Amino acid sequence: MSSSTVSVTAATPTPHPFQLKVDDVKPSKSDINFVIMDYLISEGYPKAAQKFAKEANIQIPAEEDLIQARVDIRVAIHSGDIDTAINKINDLNPQILDTDPALHFALLRLQLVELIKGCTSSANCDITPALTFASAQLAPRAATNPEFLRDLELTMSLLIFLPSESLQPQLADLLKPSLKREVASRVNQAILNSMGRKGEARLRSLTRLRNWAEKKAREAGKDLPPELPLGLQDVEGNLDATNGHSRTDDVMVS
Amino acid sequence: MFRRSSYASVAAGNAGSGQPQASGPARSGSISHLASTSGASPQPVHAHASRSADADGNHSSMSASWARGALLPSYSSQFGYMGYGSYDGQANTFFVPSYLKGSKYAEKLEDLHNARMASARELRSGHSSNAGSLSTSSSSINLHKMASTHRGMTHDIIERAPALADTISPWPTRWSEVDKFEQLEIEDNGRQAKYAGSQKSHDEAASVRADHPMPRQCGIYYFEVTVMSKGKDGRMIGVGFSGPKVPLSRIPGWEPESYAYHGDDGQSFSNTTSGKPYGPKFGTLDCIGCGINFRTGSAFFTKNGNLIGTAFRDLKPDRLYYPTVGMKRPGETLKANFGQEPFSFDIDAMVAEEKASILAEVADVSKSVLMNETAFIQRLVGQYLAHDGYVETAGAFAEESIAEARALATDGTEVPYTEMEEDLDAINRQKIRAAILEGDIDKALKHTKAYYPKVLRDNENIYFKLRCRKFIEMIRQCNELSLRRQAPPTPPSKRSTASNGFRNSIATDDYDSEMELDEQLGVLSGTGQWHADGMDTEDELEDKDAKLQQLLNETINYGTELKAEFAHDPRREVKRALEDTFALIAYENAGQSTLAALLETSGRVPVAEELNSAILVSLGKSSSAALERMLQQTEALVNELAEDGASGSFINVREDFLL
Repeated sequence: MSSSTVSVTAATPTPHPFQLKVDDVKPSKSDINFVIMDYLISEGYPKAAQKFAKEANIQIPAEEDLIQARVDIRVAIHSGDIDTAINKINDLNPQILDTDPALHFALLRLQLVELIKGCTSSANCDITPALTFASAQLAPRAATNPEFLRDLELTMSLLIFLPSESLQPQLADLLKPSLKREVASRVNQAILNSMGRKGEARLRSLTRLRNWAEKKAREAGKDLPPELPLGLQDVEGNLDATNGHSRTDDVMVS
Repeated sequence: MFRRSSYASVAAGNAGSGQPQASGPARSGSISHLASTSGASPQPVHAHASRSADADGNHSSMSASWARGALLPSYSSQFGYMGYGSYDGQANTFFVPSYLKGSKYAEKLEDLHNARMASARELRSGHSSNAGSLSTSSSSINLHKMASTHRGMTHDIIERAPALADTISPWPTRWSEVDKFEQLEIEDNGRQAKYAGSQKSHDEAASVRADHPMPRQCGIYYFEVTVMSKGKDGRMIGVGFSGPKVPLSRIPGWEPESYAYHGDDGQSFSNTTSGKPYGPKFGTLDCIGCGINFRTGSAFFTKNGNLIGTAFRDLKPDRLYYPTVGMKRPGETLKANFGQEPFSFDIDAMVAEEKASILAEVADVSKSVLMNETAFIQRLVGQYLAHDGYVETAGAFAEESIAEARALATDGTEVPYTEMEEDLDAINRQKIRAAILEGDIDKALKHTKAYYPKVLRDNENIYFKLRCRKFIEMIRQCNELSLRRQAPPTPPSKRSTASNGFRNSIATDDYDSEMELDEQLGVLSGTGQWHADGMDTEDELEDKDAKLQQLLNETINYGTELKAEFAHDPRREVKRALEDTFALIAYENAGQSTLAALLETSGRVPVAEELNSAILVSLGKSSSAALERMLQQTEALVNELAEDGASGSFINVREDFLL
């Protein structure tokens, strides 16, 4: 008798007190839209930014004309055409690479990786171009900085191991698209900084703040529900595991 | 011939006053002035929110839940200025210590203060309007409410007593008149404490605590005390803090839960009569600062603008500490600065440094997380765009991010290709939203009934809001037509037909009774100087008058219908909404009245969002996008972290991360 009433109440669990506090926060749509526009501009999605300006009836920030240049540079880096990327960056502002040797080195190293990949793709390829490039472009820079040197040595060792199915993780990382993505994103931020803009999309900082705050709050023993889902799953439905979107993805990684 | 255009004149049989620019019938100037000031920009604290006022009129965004409560003038006046240091009736003694400017905590307190001011103001204006013109008294109070909440016709359910008022403690503002040793005199609006008595025993001293404890939410709290005059051979002066129950007949530092820096020997004392060597001695005209860093649980002192160093560590996190001073000789006088004026020590820099180190900690992530972050944020944005029905943006964004992924995957290793599915619901929702944003409520209702018949049935309050909004849109049209009657005709070339809210199909001849119209912001805002009515020929004027009268009649019929439908609704918010809406009728030119905020197009946004959310819920989807949820969580988490003076105190999510 009483057990049935219990089960009824259990069916609609009372929300966690913290959830009520969360629900109590009413973010303003215009703030969110501003953050979205900021993201589209700074990460370089010009078409979406234009549509968004129309649909949400907000202004595109003034430096709109430079988005396309940044997009082109990103595309060049992503597709491994580092020469073009470097030229375009210098067209935009030669100071950017001059004042950031680490970034310049990262780009050149990416170029070396591409060269090595090219000349080790088949067994009887010529590795001379890669060697020439390394000694002409990278070696002088590496001499000035132990970190550069280490990176160069690691990259050169690709020559020995490629082509190979089983590289050690450190080497395999050099071949992953994520390296290109990272360098492209650093270049993007350097360009934005050179224009006097806050370098990073606010959405990135916000995401980190969210992760940091949850970590801190849990450390401090605050009364939180075991998980704080965002509901990304609701919309995307069933996700295939190959994309790496697991349940934990929804809760955010930290 | 029909010449008068105000509702009042139609409804009340042409009895109004004759001035064309009258802002309202017999309204006392002082009231409307008060109301309109508050409507335009409630208080300086909101100046930073100017951007946020654009799209949704939700004035203070992240702190909106707060502001909503706080801006409510309904806050009962019995709370008065309690705790705000103005016992002597001075109204504007509210101040924000420099180092707390821009902090969330200061924002909350300021909102609370403004709410109290507003309630006092409302009380006053209520009185004067009763005294002045009985006929408008009731509506003027309602207008004022709407104007100061600045949310257009959103008709939020309003809590009468903001619950947060209890949870937010104010900072010290003055020495307490009660919590002091009897023979201490408090002067200079509570800033100055003077020992007026005669010394009795050697051990006896005279101490006073401030009116409020040092609030943990500050993260760092700091105040300064200047020795105005040492008494005759006076030496023993103590500056520090103590718990609420520490005896005030003792110099601070000697008792348990009492901490101080003493001037006679420069030693620091905590909980005991034996001190520890700490800093230099101090005397007349020296300025001593005292601060607690609640994050680290430590306290420090400054002398004449120089930091001496950490004096106490391991302060207990669950105790209340009040700024406290104590003295021993008659004539000794100490003056406190709780932030009313600039500090001699650069506390702002210390707080800024603390904040910077925390922000750096937040930003510090490893590279591997960075990669996940890029993908994660992309999904977050994509989902938000789809969820909120920005269909074209979502499409363009998907296209661009797929192109990006392809460029990256030239090696052919991974091709993360996700087909952008045509989301029919998103398109329908976008149509409905667009209709509301254009002011075409009928179209929105029609679409909603067709695609989501259940939604309006299940959400009667939204249905009601839509109906009210339609009424407002009708009044907008009348208002505009009436303006046009007085104004020179707009050249056709200036009529934009874009769908961005400036569509102007209300031109005299193509008016259609379906209300497929939109207002023209330009006309509304530009009419201030138009006194002329001489450009039109008599015929055109008459033609316009006919249109206007027809429109007015339709509007009034609609209003009557609306009232009939909801008149017996017992809900308070419905009653209020009806009152507020109908108050608009009183104006000949509502666009220039204190009610103008109600007519603003920004009032459409909340209605559109609410309907969108309701549709999503009816489809079994989450009512808010993941990004929105993330913002909510972030704010709530940081709030949690700020409660006990931890790192969260130094973070203002909106100020530091959104703007």
